[in-house]
Amino acid sequence: MRRALRTLAARAWALLHRDRLDREFDEELTTHLELLIDEGRRAGLSDEAARREALRKLGQPNSIRERHRDQRGSRALDVLTQDAGYALRMLRKSPAFTAIATLSLALGIGANTALFSLVDSLLLRSLPVRDPDRLVQLRYGAGPAGFKKISPFFSQTQFDYFREHNEAFSELVGFASLDRPLVTIDGATEADPHVDQISNNFFRDLGVTPIAGRAPETSDDAVAILSYRFWQDRFGGRAEVLGRTITIDRQPFVIIGVAPRRFFGVALESDAAIWIANRAPMAQQVIARIKPDVSATQAQAGVQVMLNQLAQEQGERADRVGQAELVPAGKGLSQLRSQYERPLLALTALVVVLLLITCTNIGNLFMVRHAARKRELAVRVALGAHRSRLVLQYLVESVILAAIGGTLGWVFARWGVAILLSMLPLPFVPSALIFNGDWRVVAFAVATSLLSALLFGLMPAWRAGEINLGMLRANEGGGAPRAKRLSGVLIACQVGLSVLLLVGAGLFVQTLRNLSSVDLGFNPDGLLQILMDTRAGGYRQGQVGGVYNQLLTRLTGIPGVHSVTAVRNPLMRGLMSRAHYDIPGVELAPDESWDAAQVSPSFFDTMGIALVSGRTFTDTDATRDQFPVIVSESFVKRYLPGKDPIGVRLGQQQRTEIIGVARDARLSGVRVPSGVFMYNLLEKEPDRINALEVRFSGDPAAVVPAIREEIRQVHPRLLLSVTTMRRHIDDSIAKERMVAATSTFFSVLGLLLASIGVFGVASYAVTRRTNELGIRLALGASRGSVILESLRGTLVMFLVGLAGGIVAAVAAVRMTSALISDLLFGLRATDAANVVAAVALLILVTVLACLLPARRATRIDPLAAIRCE
Amino acid sequence: MLMWNFHRSVAGVHSKLDILQGTLDLMVLRTLATLGALHGYGIARRIEHVSGDHVILNQGTIYTSLVRLEQRGWIRSKWGVSENNRRARFYSITRTGEKQLVAETENWERLAAVMGRVLADEGQTR
Repeated sequence: MRRALRTLAARAWALLHRDRLDREFDEELTTHLELLIDEGRRAGLSDEAARREALRKLGQPNSIRERHRDQRGSRALDVLTQDAGYALRMLRKSPAFTAIATLSLALGIGANTALFSLVDSLLLRSLPVRDPDRLVQLRYGAGPAGFKKISPFFSQTQFDYFREHNEAFSELVGFASLDRPLVTIDGATEADPHVDQISNNFFRDLGVTPIAGRAPETSDDAVAILSYRFWQDRFGGRAEVLGRTITIDRQPFVIIGVAPRRFFGVALESDAAIWIANRAPMAQQVIARIKPDVSATQAQAGVQVMLNQLAQEQGERADRVGQAELVPAGKGLSQLRSQYERPLLALTALVVVLLLITCTNIGNLFMVRHAARKRELAVRVALGAHRSRLVLQYLVESVILAAIGGTLGWVFARWGVAILLSMLPLPFVPSALIFNGDWRVVAFAVATSLLSALLFGLMPAWRAGEINLGMLRANEGGGAPRAKRLSGVLIACQVGLSVLLLVGAGLFVQTLRNLSSVDLGFNPDGLLQILMDTRAGGYRQGQVGGVYNQLLTRLTGIPGVHSVTAVRNPLMRGLMSRAHYDIPGVELAPDESWDAAQVSPSFFDTMGIALVSGRTFTDTDATRDQFPVIVSESFVKRYLPGKDPIGVRLGQQQRTEIIGVARDARLSGVRVPSGVFMYNLLEKEPDRINALEVRFSGDPAAVVPAIREEIRQVHPRLLLSVTTMRRHIDDSIAKERMVAATSTFFSVLGLLLASIGVFGVASYAVTRRTNELGIRLALGASRGSVILESLRGTLVMFLVGLAGGIVAAVAAVRMTSALISDLLFGLRATDAANVVAAVALLILVTVLACLLPARRATRIDPLAAIRCE
Repeated sequence: MLMWNFHRSVAGVHSKLDILQGTLDLMVLRTLATLGALHGYGIARRIEHVSGDHVILNQGTIYTSLVRLEQRGWIRSKWGVSENNRRARFYSITRTGEKQLVAETENWERLAAVMGRVLADEGQTR
């Protein structure tokens, strides 16, 4: 081995220094020739004759040079091409092995590359801007404690004030997404491109240089920059696009530049197609670059001071000023990041395990094949092949396998990323996340492939190094005990890793099942939730009730709509209000409160929440001094056990009366357990209404546009969104679905590979011992004992792997339980039933994998078996 | 060392030169072990001389052999000045080379003996 490496190194060196070595050899040859000429002269020849004689003795200098060069270097290449050719022939000769190996390897490498690509674009990669590490997003928290809302939006006044007065930032830029802009080019309307309005310094100060045209300057007004993709899709990448006019919401903009290919804006999930700068005031998100010598804390304090000063100047109340917050923005803003960071890392762990299984599996198949090839290899050694050549042979073979697997894996990775992205609850696939041939991803794929090749190639290569002539002996069927042991260890590893994979996947699958089968307490099918903002519509208290009545009439008039109800806060978004009332005969803690919703009378009908007793609200219930409430079953169980809750009066002045009890329902979100809950009747004139629930039948695609149109007619800025409740719930568990689906896929794959491994080793064990088993049968052994005997080794290693896998899995979930517990729902990471299920599944699959070899063991014809050697 | 060209023979490229090369390697090693550092001309002369001019070779072929042996670390070389005052590369045997020489010599003798017996056997049955 060492010698082979040494020769290889010498040759590589020689290849690299070809010219110098050529010159040196020429010199060496000339000296030789002259020494020969001298010899001739001494023998009394003439100069001319001596030269001729010398050349005759030396040989043709050119052909000598040629052969010298060959020996020096290019032979190394010869050897490699020879080995590669041989390896390809070997791979072609065993198509089943090659197919399983390359396919499983491609899936393993593909899965790893796909996840790396996502992890890279979401968690690792910085924005393609100048000094991304020092970029922060400004935000502020406003509202009383407990109801605090974080907002990233600043008014134009605030932004201008920041730019003028700050000392901590070297640059500040602002941007805002336009809401469904109407974009026309040459009179033709474009299909919903995303448009961001930006501050004029956006490109220049972020440090993004347009690949065509220029960035907006402070003096510019009504200019537009196109994204690379939009430029390609809409204008075919033509340069003449610069200077053309594009109309956005009826205002013309001159195209002055095209953004670089990899720049999609600062927000990862919004694909800006067009950026416009027109100096119009906007409610904007602010990105700032902290000066090198300023700390983040100092910068944050600075923003707070500015917020306070500005509020003071404008005469606002001090307690309404928000708390300034700075969030790192160098990797781009992302709504997905915080939610998907852990799921992605959990999946990464699973695919690494999968790749390990793949490598062990291929290593094992290699070993089995190696055992079959041992005699051939021994013959080669006998004929004079160096062991190093055999080792090299295996390495070349595994590198070729890895190269094929890696290439195929690249294709799989592309698909994998597309599939994973389609599972995200996003209206479109963001360019920033799609699979791209980034050099980091390429490097990762290549490194993974080579590492895998090394991992599974070294095992047989190492065995090949131990080939000796003894293996030529006629009856050498038994195989070295070490080979058997190594193969067994590999099986144990595969089984153990499979347990790990199955336990992980089991947790996520169970989580999804628990989430999907949660009893919501209401009927989410045929239900639409409309989010709206009465404040944005400009309605104040006293006007909201009127708007609601208008909407009610309009919406119930739409065909397919059965009933409509108003709620003050949207449902299933964790936005419930809190309520506190004195309850007669109950000692409440001072801060004890419960979730509550303000609903209109038709609420229970529309939602499909059953009343257990009492009655629902009526339109006449809302009076100035009587407040009817409906409570949940859990409320009764908790505070009024064994009593008749109907008619119980609550509150200090006892003006609140329980008129009904409703079934428990999860209205805050799928994950929030239903419990103590109270429904208040929405006042006749509420301060705002933020959601309508609509019970409908038929195709939502027909109903939704009609609803949109009706609301738009009441007020164009009222509507925020219309979604079916089912869709909203599905989206809210999209993360769990993605993790469950992906991990199921990977663990099925892992299980399949492990069973192939067990099958391979078990069949080999039977084949290898056909002779011996035949003798046993002939001597009267029972078929059962023969089966057991033939598979004993495999089973023992299986059990060892199983035990190891259980220990590893339990240790792994224990260690990571803090990390993965918020990915789980309805079970704990250390759930015992889950481990048991994984083990049971693995045993079942293994038994199936052993069935065929076992049957073969019993079918051995004793006579044939004994005769066969 | 005779086995060295195994791959060529597997590939089906048999030639007399191959065997000669292996033998030549052995002769070069022996020469260097006996005489110490020598340049290519010196080695070629010595082999011709010792073999009583029975081995007549293109002296150029010696260089292929030298490269091969050097690649394996059995000999090493350094530049020096020849007797006609020209720069020349001087080769000398290494420790591993000496070990190899012993092993290969045994091998060769065994092979020669076997060949002798086998050929003699052939001669009788004819």
